[in-house]
Amino acid sequence: MFTSIKYVLGENLRNIYRIYCIAKYELLADMRDSKFGIFWNFASPAIQVLTYWLIFGVAWSRKPIGDIDYLPWLVVGYAAWWFVQPCIQSGCSAIFSKTNVITKMKFPVSVLPATVCAKEFFNHCCMLLIAFVTLLLCGHGPNFYWFGLIYYALCSFAFVESVSLILSVLTMLWRDVRKLVTSLMRMLMYFSPVIWECHFADSIPYHDILNFIMKLNPVYYIVNGYRDSVFYYKGFWQHPTLTLYFWAVVLCLFAVGCMLMYKFKRKFIDLI
Amino acid sequence: MDISNYEKNEYAVELKHVSKIYKLKKKEGEPKGSEMFYALRDISLQIKKGDVVGILGTNGSGKSTLSLVLSGISDIDGGTMAVNGEQALISINTGLNNQLTGLENINVKGALLGFNKKKIQEMTEGVIEFAELGDFLYQPVKKYSSGMKSRLGFSISLALDPDIFIIDEALSVGDKGFANKCLDRMMKLRNEKDKTILFISHSLPQVRGFCKTGLWIEGGKLMEMGPIDTVCDHYSEYVEKLNSMPAKEKKELLDEKFKERLIVSEKKSFWSRLFG
Repeated sequence: MFTSIKYVLGENLRNIYRIYCIAKYELLADMRDSKFGIFWNFASPAIQVLTYWLIFGVAWSRKPIGDIDYLPWLVVGYAAWWFVQPCIQSGCSAIFSKTNVITKMKFPVSVLPATVCAKEFFNHCCMLLIAFVTLLLCGHGPNFYWFGLIYYALCSFAFVESVSLILSVLTMLWRDVRKLVTSLMRMLMYFSPVIWECHFADSIPYHDILNFIMKLNPVYYIVNGYRDSVFYYKGFWQHPTLTLYFWAVVLCLFAVGCMLMYKFKRKFIDLI
Repeated sequence: MDISNYEKNEYAVELKHVSKIYKLKKKEGEPKGSEMFYALRDISLQIKKGDVVGILGTNGSGKSTLSLVLSGISDIDGGTMAVNGEQALISINTGLNNQLTGLENINVKGALLGFNKKKIQEMTEGVIEFAELGDFLYQPVKKYSSGMKSRLGFSISLALDPDIFIIDEALSVGDKGFANKCLDRMMKLRNEKDKTILFISHSLPQVRGFCKTGLWIEGGKLMEMGPIDTVCDHYSEYVEKLNSMPAKEKKELLDEKFKERLIVSEKKSFWSRLFG
């Protein structure tokens, strides 16, 4: 287990420039595809958020959550989700989409999930900018606790990297994994506090068990972490149990991902 | 791998009873389970350091599989393989992005090949000079003709500096002038830098002119290895014999060859692959 973790970590660290370059030029190629290029990196998440806000915020007239209006609350949560969701989804095909490269040259396959995450991280930054603008317009000025966002961005990067390590290998073994994940992502979104707070009221039976189950979802920690930093003046040290649990989960996932990657590193070409 | 390893050993590559097995899909209507197929079967060979080996064989005989195995991309299923030194497969069109310009693609492919920033900056000029693309360098690669694409791809690959070059039908692209230029460059590598070169090509004159040793694979098995002219003669004799055969006889022979390479086994499930 430790050899595999060492192997994957080492390969990723040695190839940081390679990861950066691949991510950068893939983004650039995406932008060249369309006339407006980088505009869409901002527009598509903005339109998504607008849709959710129109439906849940305006049409269903949601009350403010706590003392925060629904729109800023949604934007921050969605910013976190806009990193997790595309990473996991395209992380599935991280290796598969690079078939032509790994069959034709000696290539460190284990860096591929990281390239996907790095690429999506750029989109995440675009979305964060949108979120900042919205926050300022809604009257939430920056404060010291906003630096917590850096920590939570790191958390989410570790999480999505581990998940896409696993999923990219599983997709190579069994192509259906990608379809399965695409379908499950929607479910995961509704079971994460992205558009609702994932908190069952006291009137619902078994509400404390349900609330506990909701907290087991690692995405819960990430999304709520973003919100804690922005609205609630809370740092990650203020809920140590959840922090410990989250990192334990991430480390387990990462270890499993490394073991899978190590085991199959030279078999991928035969699995295509 | 360290270079001293390459210098120390007499042989650049040593294969002992190497086999490579591929899985085949069953034809419809047959019982479930997959068939295995020997892509390479019991190949033993030694390639001396500084040798230039031409690999010959008809289509589907396992040449490309051998190149994948030798370059360390594909894992072997049996036998032992020792490669002393660093090897690289020269692949032309891989890693070029159609949306980006030629100049940007030098960075893309350079990064894919694992060069650092400094090395890419250093090599860029040489690549531009060698590829002779002119102002097309600033056009997206999707606008390139296939010959131009190969020029760019090959020029970037030349920046690699391994001990063992593996070239899979790489020089058969581009116009004659460029092919000759590439060949000249490879000759220079061969003569000056004491590199080992494995060269796969269907062009017999090219192979005869360039290589010292011939290696002929047929049906996944090693047929002959020896001085290039002898092997080339035997190979062309075989191809002519095959071509002069009546169609039916030829088909029977090929079918028989195919059956020899099959191994029948039961299906392995997803879970057994994961934990097996």
